Amino acid sequence: MDSQSQYDVIVVGGGHAGTEAAHAAARMGAHTLLLTQSLDTIGQMSCNPAIGGIGKGHLVREIDAMGGVMGRAIDRAGIQFRVLNQRKGPAVRATRAQADRNLYRQAVRAILDEQPHLSLFQDTVDDLIVERGTVRGVVTGMGLALRATAVVLTVGTFLGGRIHIGDHNRRGGRAGDAPSIALAERLRALPLRVDRLKTGTPPRIDTASIDYRALTEQPGDSPAPYFSRWSRGDEHPRSVSCHITHTNPVTHEHIRKALHRSPMYSGEIEGVGPRYCPSIEDKVVRFADRDGHQIFLEPEGLDSREVYPNGISTSLPFDTQIAMVRSIDGLAGARITRPGYAIEYDYLDPRDLHPSLQSLHLPGLFLAGQINGTTGYEEAGAQGLLAGINAVAHGREMAPWVPARHEAYLGVLVDDLTTRGTSEPYRMFTSRAEYRLQLREDNADLRLMPVARDYGLIDEGDWQAFCAYRDAIDRERRRLEQTIIRPADLGDDHGATCLGKPLRREQSLMALLRRPEISYDDLAALSAAGEAAADPRVREQVTIAARYEGYLQRQAAQVEKQSRYEDRALPADLDYARVAGLSREVQEKLTHHRPATLGQAARIPGVTPAAVSLLLVHLQRGEQRQSA
Amino acid sequence: MPDGTICAIATPPGRGGIGVIRVSGEAAGDCLTGLAGRLPEPRTASLRTFRDADGEPLDQGLVLWFPGPDSFTGEDVAEFHGHGGPVVMDRLLRRLIELGASLAEPGEFSQRAFLNGRMDLTRAEAIADLIAAGSEAAASAAMRSLEGAFAHRIQDLVEQLTELRVHLESSIDFIDEPLDGLAIDRLADRIEAVGEAVRAAREAARSGQQLQEGARVVIAGAPNAGKSSLMNALLGRDAAIVTELAGTTRDVLDAHLHLDGLPVQVMDTAGLRTGADVVEAEGIRRAHQAMAEADHILLVVDDRNPDEDDGLGAAWPASAAALTRVYNKIDLTHRPPGVGDDGVAVSALTGAGLDGLKSHLRGVLGVRAGDEAVFTARRRHLQALDEAAAAIDEAVSAARAGHGEELVAESLRCAQDSLGQITGAVTTEDLLGRIFSTFCIGK
Repeated sequence: MDSQSQYDVIVVGGGHAGTEAAHAAARMGAHTLLLTQSLDTIGQMSCNPAIGGIGKGHLVREIDAMGGVMGRAIDRAGIQFRVLNQRKGPAVRATRAQADRNLYRQAVRAILDEQPHLSLFQDTVDDLIVERGTVRGVVTGMGLALRATAVVLTVGTFLGGRIHIGDHNRRGGRAGDAPSIALAERLRALPLRVDRLKTGTPPRIDTASIDYRALTEQPGDSPAPYFSRWSRGDEHPRSVSCHITHTNPVTHEHIRKALHRSPMYSGEIEGVGPRYCPSIEDKVVRFADRDGHQIFLEPEGLDSREVYPNGISTSLPFDTQIAMVRSIDGLAGARITRPGYAIEYDYLDPRDLHPSLQSLHLPGLFLAGQINGTTGYEEAGAQGLLAGINAVAHGREMAPWVPARHEAYLGVLVDDLTTRGTSEPYRMFTSRAEYRLQLREDNADLRLMPVARDYGLIDEGDWQAFCAYRDAIDRERRRLEQTIIRPADLGDDHGATCLGKPLRREQSLMALLRRPEISYDDLAALSAAGEAAADPRVREQVTIAARYEGYLQRQAAQVEKQSRYEDRALPADLDYARVAGLSREVQEKLTHHRPATLGQAARIPGVTPAAVSLLLVHLQRGEQRQSA
Repeated sequence: MPDGTICAIATPPGRGGIGVIRVSGEAAGDCLTGLAGRLPEPRTASLRTFRDADGEPLDQGLVLWFPGPDSFTGEDVAEFHGHGGPVVMDRLLRRLIELGASLAEPGEFSQRAFLNGRMDLTRAEAIADLIAAGSEAAASAAMRSLEGAFAHRIQDLVEQLTELRVHLESSIDFIDEPLDGLAIDRLADRIEAVGEAVRAAREAARSGQQLQEGARVVIAGAPNAGKSSLMNALLGRDAAIVTELAGTTRDVLDAHLHLDGLPVQVMDTAGLRTGADVVEAEGIRRAHQAMAEADHILLVVDDRNPDEDDGLGAAWPASAAALTRVYNKIDLTHRPPGVGDDGVAVSALTGAGLDGLKSHLRGVLGVRAGDEAVFTARRRHLQALDEAAAAIDEAVSAARAGHGEELVAESLRCAQDSLGQITGAVTTEDLLGRIFSTFCIGK
C-alpha cells in the first residue's frame, strides 16, 4: 500500500461483504484498497461453519455467476456437501456445505492475493473524509488520510458491539475483535438512522469429549456437488459427517431455572433477535410444550477439535451452559471450549440507502453486509458484490447495477431492505421471492453472466464458454419442440418401456417432457428421438423449461405488467407534499422511505395503487412542463 | 396504471334508459368483436345485439369504435350503449372481463388520456382530484360491500389459505426442521376443500349481488292505511297478508322487485300507533328500526283521513327528501291518481297511480350516489373470487399430478394475492411471522 495513493475504491472490513466488494471492484480494473483491522481474519466465519442452504445457496450461485469469491472458496473448503430439497422441484433445491474454517479463510485470502489491482492493508478506520457533502476517503487509526472516489463500509457487528454472557457484558465485536468505537460515534453523528439488533452463538464443544455412538449420523451427498461454475471438480477436501442429537426435559429444566439470569429476559438486551434463529432459552419459553429440540453437531474443520452445536445458541450464564450441554445425549462428558454468547450491535437503517447500496445522505459512501441489518455470510457477500460494483460505477459515472426482483435473489434482498427496512436480522428465504420459479440455483449463470459481462467482471474466454452453453440450450429447446413422435414410430412395447405407457397420439418431445413422470433420459432412450444433448446441464435446463413453462410464462407476464412503471425514477428531491391528491399518511410514508423508483414506491406498505397513479400523473406533468 | 384494457360504466348510476360502457386499451377491439360482432366503421354508431360466450343475446344497442390514437384516451376505445339497468350492465361488464378487460380504477380513463397527451396540463389537477376522491369512494364502497357475513366468509377463506401456505412454505424453506408438515396428498384434499369454500362464497355473493342488494324502501304508516296492499300491488303478488283488521302486520316483511332493472328491497312494516299490545309494540319497534336504515320511506296515508297523526314520531327520517307520502284508497275519495306536489295518489286496490309511484321511486332512488360504487366493488370482489378459484384448481391438479410442492405453492400464492384484493394483501412478512409462531424454527 502507498500512503500517498489515491484509490478508486476503499473497502473497510475484511469479512464476507468486504472481500466480495474489494474483489469485484478490482476485477473491474479499479484501483482498490481493502482495509481491515486484522489481515489474519479475512474471510473469517464468525458464526456457524457453513455456507449455503435454501435461499442462501441461491445467493452463493448468484455471487459466483458474477465472478465472485464465495462459491470458489467453499468448494475448496467444504467438508460436507448436500443438496437440500432434492425431492422437491428445481427452484427450491439448494446446495449447502459445512466448512473447514481455516481452509475457508485460506481460500478467500488466496483468491484475494491473486487478484490484480487489489491491495490489502491492516489498520482500523476512525473517520470518513467528507468534503462538500461527499465521502472522499477515510482516516485510519494511525492517522493516515487515504483518499478514494468511493468508500464501501462493511463493518459488520463491530459498530457499538456489546457481548452478553449471563449477567456479564462487555464492549466487543465478534469473536474477540476490537469494536470500532470511534467510527461508530462518527456514524451516529451523521443523519443516518441507527437501531439495534442482536444475535447469538452456541458454546463450542471439544469433539474428543462427545460420544457419537448413540447419535444419528448425517453424511454428505456422494458425489458431492459444487457451488462454483469455475471449479474444476477436484477441489473438495476430504468429507466428514455431521451428527444429530436433541435437547430433553432435563435440559429444558436447567434452562428454565436460569432464565432470571438471562440478559434476554432481565431486559439487559434491547436489540431484536431473529425469529428464525431463536436462542435455546427462547425456544424453551415460546414452545413450552415441546420436550426436545434438534441439534446438529457440526465439525469446525478437518483438523479442528471443535464442534459447533447448531441449535443451542444462548446467552445464559456459563455454569448453566455447562449443565445444559451435559444433559444432552452424547454430550454427558462434553468439554466446552468457548462459551455461547449474545451480541448486540448497531445497524444503519437500510431505507437510508439507494438500491445500489449508496447512502442517500452521503454520496460516495456505500454500505454492505450486517451493518445494513442482514445476517448470514451469503447475504453479506451478495451485498458486498453489489456495493463493490456500484462503487466503481459511481466513480466512472456509469449507471449502477440494481437487479430487479425477478432477476436475482440479490434484487429481492436489496429491494426488501431499501424499500421496507427490517426490524430483525434479515435472512433470505425462498418465500420472499415472488418470482421464485425463475430464480434458481441452476440458472444463476444464465440470469447474471450477461450483467457480469457488461460490468467487466468476467473475461472473454469465460464469456465465450457461457455463450456456447446458452446457444446449446436454445438449440436443444428448438429441437425438442420440432421433433414430433408418432405412435407408429414407437410401437406399443417400446413406447410403454420408455414412457410408462404407450403413446396415444403424436406429440413433440417437448410436450412429452412436460409430463412429470417422463425424464429427459426416458426421451433419449426413444428410438425415434434423435440425438440427445451431451451436456447434462443442457438436459437439465430444457427439462426445467418444459416443467415450468406455463408458470414461467405467467410470471413473465406479471413482470411485464410491473415493468411499465417499475423503473420510472422518482427524483430524490421530490416534495411529496406537493403531489396533488396524496393523503397525508401516504405523503409521510413516501417522505420517510424516499423510494428510488415508482416500482419501489408501490411496494411500500400503505402506498395504494391510487397513490401510485397520482405520482405518475405528477411526474408526467413535470415532464410536459419541461418539454413545453 | 396505464396497463392492459379497462372497462367501466360511463353513464351516471341507475338513471335513464340508456347505459354506456366504455372500453379502452389494446384489447378493446377484441372486446367489441367478442361482444357485438365485427368492428364497425370508426366513429359511426351501429345497432348490434350483444351476446354472451354461448351466443345468447344479453342486450341490444349501439356500438361505437374509436381506434387509437384519435380517441378520448389515445388508445383503442369501444363504446356500448345498452339498456341502462344495473343487471344488464353487470352482465355486459362480466362478458367484457371474460374478453380480457379489467374494471377501471377511479379516474383511470382520464388518467390515460392525460398520460397519452390527449388532455392538456391544466387538467392534471382535476385528474388528481378525480383519482383521489374516486379511490376514497371506492374504498368506502368496498367496505360496504364487505359488511356482514360475506366479510366473515372471505376472512375465513384467507385464513384457511394462509394456514396451507404456512405448512407448504415452511416445508420448502426449513427442510432441516422436524415440522409436522402435511403430506402432499393430504394437502391436495385440503386445498380442494378450500377451493369448494371459495366457490360457495362466490355463488352466495353472486346471487346476493342482484337479489340481496339494492335500495331499501320501507312502507310505513298508520294501521290499516293499506301498507300491505300497496306492497302486494307493487310486487304484483300477495307477499303480505291483508285483512280488514288493523295491526295485521306485526313483523317486517320484505321482498325484492326491479324497477326498470334497478333492484329494490321493499319492506312492509307494522302500522304505527300508540297503545298497541306487547307483540304489536315489538313490531312497531322493528318498523322504526327499518325506517332508520331505509334509503327511502313510503309513508302510506289513508286518503279518507289525510291529516290523521301519522305515528312516525321519533322515527321521522333525517332527510325529508327520503320520504314520500302515498295517498292510498283514492278509489274511495276520487282524487286523481299520480304525482302531486305533496305526494303520490294511488289506489292499491285498482292499481291506479302505481306506474306514477314506480317512476317517482325510480327517480328518487336512481340518484343515490355510492350505490353504483358498491355495485362495482362487489363486482371486483366476485372477479377476485373467480381468480382465486382458478388458482386453487391449478394447485389441486398440480398436487394430484405429482408436480413439485413449489408449483403448488406458486398457485396458492396467486390465489392468496387474488383474495388479498378483497381483504388486503397477506405479505411475506405476515406469512413468515405465522411460520415462526407456528413452528419452532432455527438451528
